[in-house]
Amino acid sequence: MPPKPHRVLLDRVSGYADEAAAYMRRRRLARRPFARLYYTGGRASDHAADSVAGGELFVAAGRLIEVAGKRPKA
Amino acid sequence: MLGPGTRAGILAEMADGETTRGETAPTEEAAAGALAYLTEMSPDLRGGAILGADGAVLAASGDADRWREDVATLFAVADRASEQPVEQVHVGTEQGEVFAIRQEGMAAAVVTDRFALASLLFFDMRSILRELAAGGDGVGGADAA
Repeated sequence: MPPKPHRVLLDRVSGYADEAAAYMRRRRLARRPFARLYYTGGRASDHAADSVAGGELFVAAGRLIEVAGKRPKA
Repeated sequence: MLGPGTRAGILAEMADGETTRGETAPTEEAAAGALAYLTEMSPDLRGGAILGADGAVLAASGDADRWREDVATLFAVADRASEQPVEQVHVGTEQGEVFAIRQEGMAAAVVTDRFALASLLFFDMRSILRELAAGGDGVGGADAA
């Protein structure tokens, strides 16, 4: 017996909502604070916040963010 | 003497090795115009600075002394992370993102909101430094764009 039409619609909407929630979850995880250094020749290195270099980079970056201040609203 | 151990030397020790091109040094006016152009092109940008080979600030939004000191500190910290001098720095935090680049004997650093387009911003910064180092006004590609 085929499902009632409103059931199909509800299932589809909740499916999209699940997809969107998963996307947002992945995006949050992927956009955690990061420190990335690039060198001549294309080499790059990532430094975790709990490493020594990473910690120092975050402190130095924080000072620059502080000096830049907030963006003036248009 | 701009030795690696000095503040100014941190900026002078460029990754691309092109610290002298025989061109005239960029003027503060040209650097200010280039920074304004970069700000105009990047809606996410909160502020930035362009520094000369001697570590002096050529243009900055806000406190120039703070920019000079903090950009030098950032590169010093980044250089300590590896034996090779760093060329670009990208740090993303909850409060914003920091982009810094050394090229053509100069350096530039900007702060943006989160989720700025990194490759585009680095491209623009690189273009501006290259243009300034060549004696231009830093916005040479503006007419073509």
